Amino acid sequence: MLVIPQAILDNMVDHARELAPHECCGILSGKDQVIDECYRITNILATMSEADLSRFEGAKLSDLQRLSPEERADIAFQMDAKEMALTQRDIRSKGLDLLAFYHSHTASPARPSQTDIAIAMEFESYRSKLNLPEPFHLIVSLQNSHLPVIRAFRIQQSHAIEISINPLN
Amino acid sequence: MITVRIPTPLRPMTGGKSEVEIQSSSIADMIENLGTTYPGIKERLYDEQGEVRRFINIYVNEEDIRFLTGKDTPLKDGDEVSIIPAIAGGK
Repeated sequence: MLVIPQAILDNMVDHARELAPHECCGILSGKDQVIDECYRITNILATMSEADLSRFEGAKLSDLQRLSPEERADIAFQMDAKEMALTQRDIRSKGLDLLAFYHSHTASPARPSQTDIAIAMEFESYRSKLNLPEPFHLIVSLQNSHLPVIRAFRIQQSHAIEISINPLN
Repeated sequence: MITVRIPTPLRPMTGGKSEVEIQSSSIADMIENLGTTYPGIKERLYDEQGEVRRFINIYVNEEDIRFLTGKDTPLKDGDEVSIIPAIAGGK
């Protein structure tokens, strides 16, 4: 179970709504499965060059190449690496851990896509070098705009396992 | 020698190798040397302004080079360099 203050859940939904139709992304810090702080990170996809798209693979890469830069951020996100590094440093300086990554799906359900799973597995192969605990992956869905949904997952061996969220008032 | 961990998207350029060993005195020197040994890789790491691309972090022994001296960060025998793309995804 992941414990998240209601104010942080609301902040993630606000972030998703502010950036829609683009996907938003960010990092949650805390300790021992209790979230303490939310960091909004810039989705740089709309400003990435054509050459950078090769960071994605397969069908997602083909989809991105067909779209305009602005439209690309509607179906994917790429965190700004510098902001991610600064966030990691800030979290470390507070004696906390990077516990979760979040992003939004503006028009699809709150479950990890094939791209989400593939990149989470790729990140898993680097994680020991970064000295990070195994992260949760949270998705904010705005598919029903009146009823946003946030779900949390662990991604292990290319499978998404749902983890319950306990909102803290 | 320096050990360089190559991220998945760049492995086609290193013949599938996830780690390579290379002689280098700094990060900038390492990227030049990687480019000589593995053509195309330098262009994948640097943008058109010659800066490390915005979705890539480079670590020397677990410390981000931004918090050292950037591309001028010196390297010594036995150092481990990790090239790690920031997290991404999409619906």
